[in-house]
Amino acid sequence: MAGQSFKRSIESVAGIYRFSEDIMAADDIDESIRFPVHLAMEELFVNLVTYNPGAEHDILIDVQIVNDGVVVTIVDHDAAEFDVTRERSVDTAASLRERKPGGLGLHLIQHMVDTLEYDYRNGRSKIRFSKGPDTRDV
Amino acid sequence: MFEIDYAESGEIVCSGRLDAAQSAKAEAFLGRLDASHTLDFERLEYISSAGLAILLKTQKRLSESGAAIRIINVNRHIHDIFRYSGFNTIFEIETL
Repeated sequence: MAGQSFKRSIESVAGIYRFSEDIMAADDIDESIRFPVHLAMEELFVNLVTYNPGAEHDILIDVQIVNDGVVVTIVDHDAAEFDVTRERSVDTAASLRERKPGGLGLHLIQHMVDTLEYDYRNGRSKIRFSKGPDTRDV
Repeated sequence: MFEIDYAESGEIVCSGRLDAAQSAKAEAFLGRLDASHTLDFERLEYISSAGLAILLKTQKRLSESGAAIRIINVNRHIHDIFRYSGFNTIFEIETL
């Protein structure tokens, strides 16, 4: 298990990538798992930063390798309540004229990870997701 | 790191990772297009929803004048994202 705190800024995205890529590469995690893990981490982190711009605390990200899969926990001690597991309505069949840029992040995560959990209490948001074989019951 | 530039062939070559921190660079480049173009994604490793938003915004703007962007050499992971986003119906896409 490895955790690291990241400044709540979009510029932290590159550091989050390097941090998680190093951990997954060291355990030879397959690219088919690494790609959606990177995507979910970025989308969730950017959401926390974008929708709570007045917050100050760093955001903690923990990456755990489990049975050739990955479990990620993101903790924000300065969060607004926002349930990332709630189904988002995105009409992916809409025509180009009807489509509006934005809103795809959580939609993609919900399709690409195996489990997604959200817990909010006393201003602390804890998001946990898993991807890969045998991580569902961790 | 994300890079975007014209190749000698006239196609637009994208490489690296098009994430939220790099989307402004993509928007600055694609926002200047005023005709149909082909984007070559052979060396693009990753794209997130921030990059998708820029592609969609560009396609919508170009469509008003009958132009469009076409995307070629899309890797399997990015193609999955396009499919989950419904982009496979609003862009002409060729996979690697």
